[in-house]
Amino acid sequence: MSHVALDPSTDVRAAGTRSNVAIDVIDLVKQFGHNRALDGVTFQVPRGSVFGVIGPNGAGKTTIMRALLDIIRPTSGQAMVLGTPTRNAGPDLRRRIGYLPGELILEGRTSGRRLLAHYADISGPVEAGHVNELAERLGLDLDRPVRKLSKGNKQKLGIVQAFMHQPELLVLDEPTSGLDPLMQQEFLKMVREAQARGQTIFLSSHVISEIQQAADEVAILRDGRIVTINTVDELRTTAIRHLRLVATGIRPTDLAAVLGALEGVTTIECTLTPAGDAEAVATLSGEIAPFVQVISTLQLKDLMLEEPDLEESVLKLYSAPTPPNTAAATT
Amino acid sequence: MTALEDRALNVRRAPLPLFGKVFTDSWRGLLGWALGLAAAAFLYLPLYPSMIGAAGIQDVIDNLPPELIKTLNYDQIGTGAGYAQATLFGLLGFLLLSIAATSWGAAALGGDEESGRLELTLAHGVTRVQVAAARFFAIMVKILALSALLFLLVLLLNEPSQLQIEVGNLLGTSLLFFGVSLLTASASLLGGAWSGRRIGGIAAGAGVAVIGYVFNALGNQSASLEWLHNLSPYYWAFGNNPLSSGANATTIVVFFGLSLLLAAAAALALRQRDIGV
Repeated sequence: MSHVALDPSTDVRAAGTRSNVAIDVIDLVKQFGHNRALDGVTFQVPRGSVFGVIGPNGAGKTTIMRALLDIIRPTSGQAMVLGTPTRNAGPDLRRRIGYLPGELILEGRTSGRRLLAHYADISGPVEAGHVNELAERLGLDLDRPVRKLSKGNKQKLGIVQAFMHQPELLVLDEPTSGLDPLMQQEFLKMVREAQARGQTIFLSSHVISEIQQAADEVAILRDGRIVTINTVDELRTTAIRHLRLVATGIRPTDLAAVLGALEGVTTIECTLTPAGDAEAVATLSGEIAPFVQVISTLQLKDLMLEEPDLEESVLKLYSAPTPPNTAAATT
Repeated sequence: MTALEDRALNVRRAPLPLFGKVFTDSWRGLLGWALGLAAAAFLYLPLYPSMIGAAGIQDVIDNLPPELIKTLNYDQIGTGAGYAQATLFGLLGFLLLSIAATSWGAAALGGDEESGRLELTLAHGVTRVQVAAARFFAIMVKILALSALLFLLVLLLNEPSQLQIEVGNLLGTSLLFFGVSLLTASASLLGGAWSGRRIGGIAAGAGVAVIGYVFNALGNQSASLEWLHNLSPYYWAFGNNPLSSGANATTIVVFFGLSLLLAAAAALALRQRDIGV
């Protein structure tokens, strides 16, 4: 599967020097027995950007991230992280990465503070006081035994662990899982601040709503293949909007014909309201301007055009027909 | 990127963090095993004077089936050294240390991977070989500590319990005890590293200990089965009654060398594998 570069700036980066690239993955394949978890994944993450991977469970998100950390070795293909091949990469590379596993298992007996101190000992240098600062932002009590922490608080501990040494690259697998909406916002703020400092963030989620505010680019992964890579803005323009309008002086069948003639307007349902008006419910994707021009000729009584639903458009990409011979992948 | 590089760092790091972590995690367990070992020593050894003093104890032993005596290594039980060997070094102490060594070895890599924690450790600035080596040497120190404790306990009870064990022989036997336990731990470390599961480590460690014990017992039964002694680490350690006749230094070195070999194999096995799949 080739990199679908719709963003013109992506081409510029691809042609530029490799040192501007934080993650460079070329035709990555990972086979677990008969199960092809990754089936030729290619993408690049520019330095200083926030790159999201969206996909249903089992699409291969976790497998990509584990390969970047050299926890698993790809069957074929290459992954370069910060200019170094990940295969058998030494500890120096991993000191420059902060990693949050998707299935975070932490030792339970010790306190959060002592656990973080241990991870600080084996990762990049941690600025004094920075751990407290992060814990305070997330409202995390570091002195409680880890086993007594709720799932959300364990997740916060994992996030602090990944961020504390201010690594050049953050690899975060489902970072917002278990966090309440308020903490999700705080986390996204931390991501933006990290980006402002020049750090690169590579993160995954199974729902786009959790990361659409933070990510510059989003790769959509299904069955071990990248379906598309888009900017969030591009996703927004291709996204589906639900619309409902009520017009007078027109019969429902005529209204349906008018709307049906427009490109991007689908699933049109026109009915007669009790007041004798024509009501249309439909979905709109793509450009808005032609639609607005056409409906301006109608005698509108009511119009509602929803926010684009990225979730729905991403789900549509998920459910696109699966190419033959592609087994479902596990993460 | 300057913002990343210009950070003022005031960093204090623990020396040998991976090695030290094993002890901060498991000192309670180590204390428990030490107490168990002390209890075994204080339970068995002070009984010796009353056993040899009691008329008829030799009669009782003589009336036991010879196969049982050979299995339990009770043939030398009439001497202090034979008694300490049969009850403590060869039975309860061996059992305790074999269980401890197997559980530590199996948990160190296989159990840690199975639980999902190893993944996060390996995502940091360490190599897999470092992790395996640190955990192996930590287990070695723990087994050495328990063996040293056993040495001190027997030394302490030697006089009051009228065991008449020579200190040199006691030291050699304690080192053999350390060696055979370390071999068990290394086997379970390798089993865990190779399989990525705790159970793989337990199978390997328990295999070395149990098969060693069983082959020794079978080899004791008849000349035609004596060849089984060659395959029994238990026999290598205790077959020549080291408490009374002295320990063989070469055997101690062999135990240590084999253990290092198994630990190196564990590190290599861990290095080759996908973790947590």
